[in-house]
Amino acid sequence: MGNKKEAYYGLPEEVKFCTRCVMSNQRPASTPEFKHTIDSKKTTLNIGEDGICDACRVNEGKENIDWEKREAELIKLLDKHRRNDGKYDCIVPGSGGKDSAYQSWMLKYKYGMNPLTITWPPILYTDYGYQNWKNWVEIGGFDNLMFKQNGRIMKLLTRLSIENLFHPFQTFILGQKNLAPKIAINYDIPLIFYGENEAEYGNPIADDASSLRDKSYFSMTHLKDMYLAGVSIEELMEKYDVTLADLMTFLPADHEQLEKSKIEVHYLGYYLKWVPQEVYYHAVEHTGFKARPFRTQGTYSKYNSIDDKIDDLHYYTTFIKFGIGRTTYDASQEIRNKHLTREEGLALVRKFDGEFPDRYFKDIMQHIDMTEERFFELADKFRSPHLWGKDSDGSWKLRHSVNKTGLDD
Amino acid sequence: MNHRVIARLDIKGPNLVKGIHLEGLRVMGKPEDFASYYYENGADELLYMDVVASLYDRNSLKDIITRTANEVFIPLTVGGGLRTIEDITEVLRYGADKVSLNTAAIKNPEIIKQAAEAFGSSTIVVAIEAIKQNDGKYLCYTDNAREYTGVDAFEWAQRAEELGAGELIITSVDKEGTGEGFDIELTKKISQSVKIPVIAHGGPGKLEHFKEVLTDGCADAVSVASMLHYSYAAKNKSVNEFSAEGNVTFINSGKTFGKIDKAEIQDIKKYLSDNNIDCRYIK
Amino acid sequence: MSSEKKYQVAIIDYEMGNMFSVNHACKYVGLNSIITENRDVILNSDAAILPGVGAFGNCMENLNKLDLISPIKDFVASGKPFLGICLGLQLLFTESEEFGVSKGLNLVEGNVVKFPTETSGGKLLKVPQIGWNHIYNAKNDNHWSNSILKDTSTKEFMYFVHSYYVKPSDERDILTMTNYEGIEYCSGVKKNNITAFQFHPEKSGTEGIKIYQNWSSEIKNYKKKNNG
Repeated sequence: MGNKKEAYYGLPEEVKFCTRCVMSNQRPASTPEFKHTIDSKKTTLNIGEDGICDACRVNEGKENIDWEKREAELIKLLDKHRRNDGKYDCIVPGSGGKDSAYQSWMLKYKYGMNPLTITWPPILYTDYGYQNWKNWVEIGGFDNLMFKQNGRIMKLLTRLSIENLFHPFQTFILGQKNLAPKIAINYDIPLIFYGENEAEYGNPIADDASSLRDKSYFSMTHLKDMYLAGVSIEELMEKYDVTLADLMTFLPADHEQLEKSKIEVHYLGYYLKWVPQEVYYHAVEHTGFKARPFRTQGTYSKYNSIDDKIDDLHYYTTFIKFGIGRTTYDASQEIRNKHLTREEGLALVRKFDGEFPDRYFKDIMQHIDMTEERFFELADKFRSPHLWGKDSDGSWKLRHSVNKTGLDD
Repeated sequence: MNHRVIARLDIKGPNLVKGIHLEGLRVMGKPEDFASYYYENGADELLYMDVVASLYDRNSLKDIITRTANEVFIPLTVGGGLRTIEDITEVLRYGADKVSLNTAAIKNPEIIKQAAEAFGSSTIVVAIEAIKQNDGKYLCYTDNAREYTGVDAFEWAQRAEELGAGELIITSVDKEGTGEGFDIELTKKISQSVKIPVIAHGGPGKLEHFKEVLTDGCADAVSVASMLHYSYAAKNKSVNEFSAEGNVTFINSGKTFGKIDKAEIQDIKKYLSDNNIDCRYIK
Repeated sequence: MSSEKKYQVAIIDYEMGNMFSVNHACKYVGLNSIITENRDVILNSDAAILPGVGAFGNCMENLNKLDLISPIKDFVASGKPFLGICLGLQLLFTESEEFGVSKGLNLVEGNVVKFPTETSGGKLLKVPQIGWNHIYNAKNDNHWSNSILKDTSTKEFMYFVHSYYVKPSDERDILTMTNYEGIEYCSGVKKNNITAFQFHPEKSGTEGIKIYQNWSSEIKNYKKKNNG
């Protein structure tokens, strides 16, 4: 093959696909978002010599896990912290999706804990997503603290993160990760529970060895080193007329307070076998969860991450930046869970991956004050040459696809 | 009129699956086993729906249809991914008695007319998957309730009748798999506006729901899935050979699904009979 | 392995309707059934079935087109067992009011009429009748017990799919009656070697198969009586 194409973001030059699921080696691992700039080099999913990716490997390992033993560990942990004096003993962050519904229900009704559910609300709630949140609280029966962000700042940061990182969700992810520790500190609640363990989705295997998340994800020692929406805090304050106070919601808890507090973050997915589809059934049965009344654009599913209108667009940006659309994510997960065969995954990717989510696009652009043209301009800017090329009719096409239908395949 | 109780089986590949709102593909077991059991225990008809035919552009029910048709002597309706007259011809040849059309019919309504002329109206069932919108309207969806069409359910029901459909099966996607009961408003409105039989589908979790939909809902027949499947599955674990494909967690766990009462077909029929609703109930 | 002889049944194929179930039911009860439109095969068979689904007019058109009218009439004239199902019952009659007036085979006198749009009580009548209904012996005489229904109890459930029903001119031809939403109509006839039903015995569960079994016996008996 002729000239070598530049690979942006430190992505591997050669595009490879896992032979078990349909994920590619371009998949980035979660990065500490406060250090995230356009120059950030990504750690990506490793595909072994045998063609099997780390996520599939981890999943294989799941078969050998002694779940009874893990549950015993969980119970031991919970016994240590359970409060019967009416005070909260753990926090479950969530927005009303199937995962938080499941976690909170299990902790409260199965294991007898007293969770406080907290919600960092979506940038733009879908109406059925909002109804799910209400049902979670009202039918599921949980105390809930919803922290509504300063709307003006959210809009600004969302727009800037698209401009600078082509990552609409950056601000959301920040809040999601930072809110829980802060509330934990304020309310003196020692435990925070998230759902699935990150390595399930392809973070380096080492992260899975313990179930505690690396605290570097949310604690920083120097304000100067922090970036939001790809812009340094300093620049944000100078250029965009934003005060430090405005930005504190997005920034992590104070490092010292965290050290003192002895807060622990755990993944329920480490202790309990997580089958996403069964979590869906559970959520419907117990907390009034309802799937989206139509197929999510960009994929085949109807119940994964349906509460934020921007979610669909987020996956479109991953398609642009990494060549990985939402179908690839969903199908890979289901293949690992043995709910789909690889063949089915391939067919679904062929059918839906990269589908443009036009349903909420106008709403979003209006909300953040960006023109549609600007968005598409940015999309083209963020396409890495090693992933994208132009077709004979001038339209963009992936050079490589898992179905081998890419330009260079 | 003797109201029919039809057992509906959603099928993915080799497995019987059961979702909620037609979503989720929890494996319940081997379809033929369930079908035989229902046949032997009072089912008036069987309905096989291939729920992923549109996703994978494949029609894979051939073997299941033939096996079932060889063993049961009650009508078998087959649906899911039937796109052309050829598809219908094939499926009838394998042993189906009726076919159900949804996606193909909405995309190309003329196919109802062509199919009715070629095979007889009574062979053609038009399936309507309806979701209630915020403004109270009921709109039709296709591809197993995945794709939005903007088509009004009531208008479509009447049009389907005009084009030659022999009967309609109306699914309330909102209620499907929830155990909350049928959508009475949806069923009644459609059943009263067409002269052909209307089968209600989606939502029953208790015996009372059947009475409701056949009286208040004016349905002519009912289609039932969850209540029967969870009941049969609790007694039989026939899934072992299929654990290679599909969500088999539930069936291996031995749990039950809380919102749905387990029931046999005879339980439903006895209940109807006790409540003076005519059906083929043989004590 | 039984060395019992299999009797040949011609299932008349005039390209209207699905013959899988009829064929399967025949084989299930041990008959050697052949789906055919060939005159010779039909006339040489031990028995014949006229199935049918769809519109009366189209059916007659096809029978004409395929030149099957005279084979059918000749077969009936031969006295060998002849079974009509659904449209196969209606076609035997003199005429049908479907799409104006269509002429039938006139092997049984009478006409074919459509269900009304309302019940006598003014309720909306759903047409076609699709589902199970009772067949009963209206006459309380030997007709039923001399027919292939002899092991079928009166008021047994059978499976129906039809929008039209037959009105035999001669009451003696009536074998079974059925009531659909207050409308009493003839659901089965027997005239000499012709037995014909509006309902589908091959779709009526074990009770329906029983009828096929008895028909199979009738074929055997006829054959034996006429040098089998």
